[in-house]
Amino acid sequence: MPRSPGTRLKPAKYIPVATAAALLVGSSTLFFVFTCPWLTRAVSPAIPVYNGIIFLFVLANFSMATFMDPGVFPRADEDEDKEDDFRAPLYKNVDVRGIQVRMKWCATCHFYRPPRCSHCSVCDNCVEDFDHHCPWVNNCIGRRNYRYFFLFLLSLSAHMVGVVAFGLVYVLNHSEGLGATHTTITMAVMCVAGLFFIPVIGLTGFHVVLVTRGRTTNEQVTGKFRGGVNPFTRGCYGNVEHVLCSPLAPRYVVEPPRLPLAARLKPPFFRPELLERAAPLKVKLSDNGLKSSLGHSKSKGSLDRLDEKPLDLGPPLPPKAEASTFISDRQTPRPTSAESTLSVQRTSPPTPAMYKFRPAFPTAPKTPFCGPGEQVPDSLTLGEDSIHSLDFASEPSLDLPDYAPGGLHTAYPPSPPLSAADTFSGALRSLSLKATGRRGGDHMALQPLRSEGAPPTPHRSLFAPHALPNRNGSLSYDSLLNPSSPGGHACPAHPSASMAGYHSPYLHPGVLGDPPRPPPRSFSPVLGPRPREPSPVRYDNLSRTIMASIQERKDREERERLLRSQADSLFGDSGVYDAPSSYSLQQASVLSEGPRGPVLRYGSRDDLVAGPGFGGARNPALQTSMSSLSSAVSRAPRTSSSSLQADLANNNAPGPRPSSGSHRSPARQVPPSPPGTPRSPSYMGPKAVAFIHTDLPEPPPSLAMQRDHPQLKTPPSKLNGQSPGLARLGPAAGPPGPIASPARHTLVKKVSGVGGTTYEISV
Amino acid sequence: MATEVHNLQELRRSASLATKVFIQRDYSDGTICQFQTKFPPELDSRIERQLFEDTVKTLNSFYSEAEKIGGNSYLEGCLACATAYFIFLCMETHYEKVLKKISRYIQDQNEKIFAPRGLLLTDPVERGMRVIEISIYEDRCSSGSSSSGSSTGSGSSSGGGVGAGAR
Repeated sequence: MPRSPGTRLKPAKYIPVATAAALLVGSSTLFFVFTCPWLTRAVSPAIPVYNGIIFLFVLANFSMATFMDPGVFPRADEDEDKEDDFRAPLYKNVDVRGIQVRMKWCATCHFYRPPRCSHCSVCDNCVEDFDHHCPWVNNCIGRRNYRYFFLFLLSLSAHMVGVVAFGLVYVLNHSEGLGATHTTITMAVMCVAGLFFIPVIGLTGFHVVLVTRGRTTNEQVTGKFRGGVNPFTRGCYGNVEHVLCSPLAPRYVVEPPRLPLAARLKPPFFRPELLERAAPLKVKLSDNGLKSSLGHSKSKGSLDRLDEKPLDLGPPLPPKAEASTFISDRQTPRPTSAESTLSVQRTSPPTPAMYKFRPAFPTAPKTPFCGPGEQVPDSLTLGEDSIHSLDFASEPSLDLPDYAPGGLHTAYPPSPPLSAADTFSGALRSLSLKATGRRGGDHMALQPLRSEGAPPTPHRSLFAPHALPNRNGSLSYDSLLNPSSPGGHACPAHPSASMAGYHSPYLHPGVLGDPPRPPPRSFSPVLGPRPREPSPVRYDNLSRTIMASIQERKDREERERLLRSQADSLFGDSGVYDAPSSYSLQQASVLSEGPRGPVLRYGSRDDLVAGPGFGGARNPALQTSMSSLSSAVSRAPRTSSSSLQADLANNNAPGPRPSSGSHRSPARQVPPSPPGTPRSPSYMGPKAVAFIHTDLPEPPPSLAMQRDHPQLKTPPSKLNGQSPGLARLGPAAGPPGPIASPARHTLVKKVSGVGGTTYEISV
Repeated sequence: MATEVHNLQELRRSASLATKVFIQRDYSDGTICQFQTKFPPELDSRIERQLFEDTVKTLNSFYSEAEKIGGNSYLEGCLACATAYFIFLCMETHYEKVLKKISRYIQDQNEKIFAPRGLLLTDPVERGMRVIEISIYEDRCSSGSSSSGSSTGSGSSSGGGVGAGAR
């Protein structure tokens, strides 16, 4: 019949099977009809029974071999092969019992053929354990139907043997009348049987050998294991057992799905890492109070980092916290800085530095966060505001828009008490700073203290000032120059400034602006975002108080400056330190002022600048820096910060240094001063200095000296490493920069000694 | 209604198919059905290693039980031979019984362990016992939840719908 191209009808392929079936059935039927009756009568009735069973067996196996799925692999889904289709190699090796077996890529079925699988061109399917394609059954012989094929062969052979044997008996017994019908038919049947006897027996014997060897026809014919070992053999008995007794394998090509997938997918989904990170993340989040959730991958990651950093730093000084926050701040500079600021602020509400940190939050805590009592109120507050604005820039990137205030709030609650203790804070700070080298501990103390009130406040204030100044420094620079810089400051500070001691690497910018904040952060979770609501109100209150504190600070700073001028060597460092702090303050003020230009700030700034004796040199530098800051504010923060730093460096240190260098110097300076208080020093400085100066003029300097040296040495390396952060911290580094120079050395010492020690410790 | 459901779906964060991981067969012991217990890196953040390995090992044990040559399979073969394989029309084989058990196990695992993690196991039988397909879903706040479900099976989408309805 005509075959259309579309149809797959190929009559030719049915000829062998039709012939085989016809021959089998016909011959057997004739045998049974013509030969068996006589045999039944003459020999035994068991003969037809036996033959009948054999024949039935043959038919059954023949049918199974013909109609059973040999183990066809369904085509692979597109999802599975999308990677392999074009780029996959043709062969893939797999190890089977120590022997490398090659799996070939099937272009039709789109998967790598499992071992012993082959693609049948007649059936156009990959068949599992492919043996051969038998035309007599018009089917592939594979895993599922090999047993039936083998049994078919066996039974067919037995049947043929029986037919021929019994026919012979009949013929021999009817030899006199060979022309008789029955005899003729029997002889015809015997001829047919005899004709196919040799091929069938031969094939049967062949397959018996294959079965005992555990090979397939395909493997035997292609000579795969000719010289080697067959990895699929199970031993003679095992192979026979496998062929004859193994359970019937399932069909793979199943059209309807076996069972509907009743599993429901309900996002959100569990993640193992979430469970692991839950704690740290929480900590961070709560610290910041900015991040709303873990949703922000960036924030999350950064948070993780933040957490890690601050945590690693341990009970670092508040500055550290900031630093760490800044470190992580790379991604989310704001939150950490904000946090730290907040925490810092909390401790010392009056501290203007707090304001500075505040700006970090995009939200408006423009009003002084907490540091109303802090000295650098005006500038700080202003700075904060400006910083806020600046920070906002950075923060928005962090996606912390709303939480900032919240975080601030948390900070705020404690602030009022702090303000109360502000007066002591300086003294306490110095004491605490000196007493404990562990800033973190202080922070820790602060945290709980904050809520408590006065007694803790001193610690807190200590921290706060340190932190704040550092922060301010960093913030101011950052905020001025780079919105993200505050974070940057913090970050570098943290990493560089191992909270452990300010000597260490903290000199880096991180130290400057990023007092390690781990403690604050850790605390903040406690304080948490809850207090957000009240904070706005607090801010207002703080502003008033802050102004007052700022005024106080101014006075103190004036005093400090005077003292400094008296003891240049000692106070040089502190002066330098102060300068940065004041600078930072100024910066902050500038920053804040930039956008707003409050007169007050400038006034304060001027006071701050003019105060210290050595500051004379500084002042110009500061002023320039400030101006640069202001300019920086208007311009891109980063560049300005660097310029600022450069200015500072130039002013303070001999030999202009590249921005990096300037960064370094500031960092160096800062680290020595209060490693932990990169920020606070800025505003803390004046206060602390004032206090310390009066109280401990001598010891601190020595301490500062000692610190300076190690610090000075370390920072450069650290700075280099911290370059990215440093860049950000640029502004923060600025103040330290000048200190770094020889004058800085002195300044550094001084700071450490008088206020520096305090700073550092607190930082 | 449809609109409401759609809105619900949108509100509800729907899962969408992100990628599929394929656990390949382990041929180190011949052609017996075994799957690799190597933990795929794509699942690193989605499910604990131990859970995954337990699942695969359990599946491997199921398959080895299904393919075990023992008295049960021998008797089945003899019976089948004796009845000229007509027995296959009436009774399911030992292998098929184990496959059903595997299917139930996979479904159970999906419901309890994988689906909450945004994963879905596909029965290897549907893939010719060559791979275990694990579909990884990402929760996305989008309304295209059904599309992912359909790719892996009608059940998932229906399950999602049911889940939506349940919610």
